[in-house]
Amino acid sequence: MVQRLKEVDVVVIGVGMVGSIVAKELAAAGYKVVGLERGQTRFTVPEFQSPAIHDELRFDIRKAMMQDNTREPVTFRNQASQVALPVRRWESFLPGTGLGGSMVHWNGQTYRFQANDFQLATRTRERYGKNFLDADLTIQDWGVTYDDLEPHYDRFEYLLGTSGKAGNIKGQIQPGGDPHESPRSRDYPTPPQKEHYSGAMFRKAASSLGYHPFPQPSSNLSQPYTNPEGMKLNACVFCGFCERYACEHYAKSVPQTVILPVLLANPNFELRTGCQVQRINLDSTKKHATGVTYIDAVGRELEQPASLVITSMFALNNVRMLLLSGIGTPYDPATGQGVVGRNYAYQTMSTVASFFDEDVHINPFMASGASGTLINDFAGDNFDHSGLGFIGGAFIGAVNTNGRPIQYHPVPPGTPNWGKGWKQAVVKHYNHTVMFSLHGSSVAQRQNYLDLDPTYRDAWGQPLLRMTFDFPQNDIKMAAHLTAKAVEIGKAMGAKQVAGNPRKGPYTVTQYQTTHNTGGSVMGDNPKTSVVNRYLQSWDVPNVFVIGASNYPQNASWNPTGTLGALTYWAIEALKNKYLKNPGRLVSA
Amino acid sequence: MNVLAGSIMILAMPCALAHAAPSAKPSGATPAAEAPAAPCEACHGAHGEGMAAAHVPRIAGQSADYLKKQLDNYADGTRDSPVMTNFAKALSDKQRIKYAMLYSSMPMPQSPQPKSLSAVQFARGHQLAFQGDERVRVQACNSCHGPDGVGVLHAAPYLAGQSADYIASALKSFQQGTRKNDAGELMRSVAKQLNDADVIAVSGYFAQVNLSTK
Repeated sequence: MVQRLKEVDVVVIGVGMVGSIVAKELAAAGYKVVGLERGQTRFTVPEFQSPAIHDELRFDIRKAMMQDNTREPVTFRNQASQVALPVRRWESFLPGTGLGGSMVHWNGQTYRFQANDFQLATRTRERYGKNFLDADLTIQDWGVTYDDLEPHYDRFEYLLGTSGKAGNIKGQIQPGGDPHESPRSRDYPTPPQKEHYSGAMFRKAASSLGYHPFPQPSSNLSQPYTNPEGMKLNACVFCGFCERYACEHYAKSVPQTVILPVLLANPNFELRTGCQVQRINLDSTKKHATGVTYIDAVGRELEQPASLVITSMFALNNVRMLLLSGIGTPYDPATGQGVVGRNYAYQTMSTVASFFDEDVHINPFMASGASGTLINDFAGDNFDHSGLGFIGGAFIGAVNTNGRPIQYHPVPPGTPNWGKGWKQAVVKHYNHTVMFSLHGSSVAQRQNYLDLDPTYRDAWGQPLLRMTFDFPQNDIKMAAHLTAKAVEIGKAMGAKQVAGNPRKGPYTVTQYQTTHNTGGSVMGDNPKTSVVNRYLQSWDVPNVFVIGASNYPQNASWNPTGTLGALTYWAIEALKNKYLKNPGRLVSA
Repeated sequence: MNVLAGSIMILAMPCALAHAAPSAKPSGATPAAEAPAAPCEACHGAHGEGMAAAHVPRIAGQSADYLKKQLDNYADGTRDSPVMTNFAKALSDKQRIKYAMLYSSMPMPQSPQPKSLSAVQFARGHQLAFQGDERVRVQACNSCHGPDGVGVLHAAPYLAGQSADYIASALKSFQQGTRKNDAGELMRSVAKQLNDADVIAVSGYFAQVNLSTK
C-alpha cells in the first residue's frame, strides 16, 4: 500500500548542483522543501579523502561515482531502424549519482555561452541566409538572451569562486582575457590558475598565428575564497584527479563545498537519500501535479504531496521523468510532432596530439581539470562560415587535465595496440606529448531524440530511456575543418609529429567523449517546439519546473555547466518573484 | 664562509647549550652523515635528529627540495624565525643546496617521540591525520603528507616522528601568518581551522608515529 506523507510546498527531484541551489533559495524564502536524492549522502570528509579517492581503477575504470547501470541503464542505437540495447558500462558519457550529483566528479571548466548562441536560428539566418542549414537540422532560439542571463552567470561564478581572466567587461576588451566573450559585468572572483607548461607552449604558438589565447576559466580555485554563502574554499594543489573523482581539498567548487552545508542547516529543508522517484503524479485534468511517488531505500512506496515539483536531475533523467509521468507530448521523429525527447544533442569532441623530442618535459600529471590555455577564434560564430557548409565551432586548447597511469598514454598513429611495441611507445611519449582538446558544438537534428524503451526496464520495473543518436553531417564537417586548424598550432609549437583526430561517425557509446548530454526538454517561446517556457516552467503542467542541460535547444562550443548555473538562478528569480506570489502560467501558450 | 659560519654558531650556541642532550645516533650512519659539520649541526644535531624539546625539527631524510625552499624562504622573509632568518641569509645559493642535499641524504631517524597524549587526544590526532573533519572543513593531513605522514618527495615534508613541539609551532606560525611560504595558502587555510586542542592532538599524533621496520 502506498503511504501518503504530509504535504510540503516544494519537492525537488535530484539533489545535485541545480537541486541544491533551488532548494537553498526556496527554503530560505520560507517554503517547506523536501529534496529526494536516489544516491547516498557524501561529503569531502570522509568520503572524498585520499588515498582512497585517487583509486584510478575504482573511479576511472569501474565508474564508482556513476549512476548504477546494473539497475538503471540507458538504451542506445544510432538510428530508428535499429534495435536499441542497454549500455551496461558507461563509457561515452558518465552521469553521476549521489548527493551533489554529477558536479562532484566534474573538471571545473566554467564557461559562459555567447550572445549569439541563445539566438542561434535567428542569427544564422541573418548572417548566412535561410537556406544555409541542412534541412533536417532543428536548431532554434532559446527564448532568453545573453543579457537576460548575465546577472545570473555572474552570481553563479561568484558562488563557485571561478578562477579566470575577463576578456570583455561592459564592452571594454581586457588584455589577457578572451576578446570574443560577450560582455560581463565584472571580472572573475579569483585570478586564473597557474599556466601549465603545455599551455605556455600553446599560448606562444597560437599568438604567433594571430589567435587570442586566454586562461581556461576554472572552478578548481587559484587561491582561497569565501563565497557569498559564507563557504570557504581552498586553493587547488594540481593533483590531476578532478574529472571522475571528487576533490579532497575543498578546492573544487561542488555542492558540498559551495552551498550544501547552508541548505542542510535550514530547518525548512529535509533531505531524503536512497529515494527513487517513480513519477510525478497528476490530477484528473493532467494539467496539475499533486506531488511525486517514490520508493525509498528499504523498498517502501511513498507518496509525497507537494504544491510545486522541480525536476533537477541529470539531463537524461529529467527527460525520462517527464515521459514516465505523462507530462508533455512525446516527440515522434516520423512526423516531427511532439516535444518531449526532441532536440537531444551532445558535444563533438576532437583531439590533436603533438609529439615532442625527449628533451621537452611536459609533466602532464601536474594538472587541474581546468588549467588549460585556449582560443575561441574558432568557437561558435566567431569566424565566417560562408562556404564552409556547417555552423558552429569549438574552443581549441591545450587542456592538460591529468597524467593518470591507467588512462593517459598518448602514442603516435601506427603504434601497435598492445604488446612490447605499445609499451615502448608509451614510455617514450608519456612525458613528451601535448594534447589539444577541440570542444565542438552539437546541432539538433530531426533524427536524434530520446524516448522510452519499449523492451528494457529498470530495477523498479519502469521503462528505460532510449537514446537514438548519430553525429549530424554539419558537426562532422565542423570537426574536420577545425582539426586542421589545430594541427597548424601543433606544428607552430615545434612538435616533430602532430596527429589530428577529428571526430567521425558513427557515434559510439563505448568510447569516452564527454558527459555533456543536452536537450530533450528544451526551452523556448513556442509550445509546439519546446517543453518548457523561458522560465523553465512546463507548458503542460504549470506547477512543474524542469531545470537541467535538457533545456538546451542545441549545444554550444563550451562545457554546459556555467550556463546551467545561470539558468538555475534565472528560474529561481521567476519562481520567487512571479510564480510563488501568484501560481499559474508565467507565459501564455 | 668561515666568518659567516662563526657568527651563526654564536647565534646558535645558547640554544644548543640550553638543550644539550645525548643525540640519538642512528646505527649504520652513511658517509654523508659523518661529513664535516655543517653550521646546522649545533641545533639540528650531527645526524639531523633535531631537538624535540626545543622546537628544533628533525631534518635528516627530509626532501632536499623542501629543505632548500625553507632556507630560501627564511632568507626572503616568507618564513620567519629569529634564528633561521640570519642563518639562511648568510648562506649562498650553492651552500643552501649543499646543506639541503647533505641532510636529505641522511637516514630518517627511526625513534619516535614518546607518547604524551590522552586517549581522546590520540583519537582526535588520528582522525585529523587520516580522515580530516567535515565540521571544520579540514582535509586529512595524510592527503598531502603521505601515509601516516611519511612525506611525499618534493611536495610535502614528512611529519612522522617529527618533534611535536615543532609541528605545533609550525601550525601556529601558519595560523599567525608569520609563515607564508605555503603554495596556494594551503597550510594557512588548514591551520586556521584548527583550535589549540586540535594542534596539540595532531602534533602529538605525528610525533609518536614509528616508522621503524624492525
